[in-house]
Amino acid sequence: MAQSSFVYVTYIRSPQQKVWDALTKPEFQKLYWFGGHQESSWKKGAEWKMFMPQHGLTDSGEILESDPPNRVVIKWRNEFKPELKAEGYSQCVYELAQEGELTKLTIVQTIEKENAQFIQAVSGGWPRILSSLQSFLETGRAHGDTRMPAEQAHE
Amino acid sequence: MSDYVYVTYIYTTAQKVWDAITKPEFAHRYWMHTNVSDWKPGSRWEHQHGDGSGKVLIDGTVLESSPPRRLVMTWSRPDHSQEPSRVTFDIADYAPGIICLTITHDQLEHDPAMAASVSGGWPKVLSNLKSLLETGKTENIWLTKGKEG
Repeated sequence: MAQSSFVYVTYIRSPQQKVWDALTKPEFQKLYWFGGHQESSWKKGAEWKMFMPQHGLTDSGEILESDPPNRVVIKWRNEFKPELKAEGYSQCVYELAQEGELTKLTIVQTIEKENAQFIQAVSGGWPRILSSLQSFLETGRAHGDTRMPAEQAHE
Repeated sequence: MSDYVYVTYIYTTAQKVWDAITKPEFAHRYWMHTNVSDWKPGSRWEHQHGDGSGKVLIDGTVLESSPPRRLVMTWSRPDHSQEPSRVTFDIADYAPGIICLTITHDQLEHDPAMAASVSGGWPKVLSNLKSLLETGKTENIWLTKGKEG
């Protein structure tokens, strides 16, 4: 079946639980996700919504699988760009694994459509977000965030 | 499908990223191996084992060199049993104090084993590079699971 996908792997010097919390808790997301956050209970079957300060609701969907702090699968559709929304739902898998001092984080986002614009869009976004996450967890200083002193950002 | 692209954003300068790739003692700290060349177009480069043996893990030719912004080189198995692939480093300004580093590893169609190896290796190398430049800390990345690249 024709599909498009984006894969990103990063190794972050932080405990797996902290990486999980940073990915799923709005108070952490707001610090490195360029002000955005997500609302969900992260339980299987739960609603999932993403908000960005400049756009409001940007993406929505449902939690398809959840195994904290190891794995989550999100049914994920863009909501604010008509051409991306028209491509329908993608599936996004987060996988986390502790490897010594590091947490290996793998993001795989897939849509059942060839050359999808949605995948092109997230291919630009994920490296920015995950680089900001690595900086946030390792130094306390995310990208585009000058508000947080290093000490506070860790806890 | 066989082109491999990895983008990372780092609090650092373009010159530091360039030095981290091209200076052996710098590369050794996060790649655990070294890259040795005079980095002039047409020159040979070698990816040497970091254990001091000088064992060549990968070699090739420098195709383009524009310090500190762009470096293009071929990437060959030292026995030249397969056609070489190609690696491009692009180092761009992104935001004040932050650079965007893009690695494109292409021409891998003829060597699926190398494609699999480098797609596992680049994230380890580049995450470790970011850690080094932002925190001064690194990990021996080849001791954990995964292939050497």
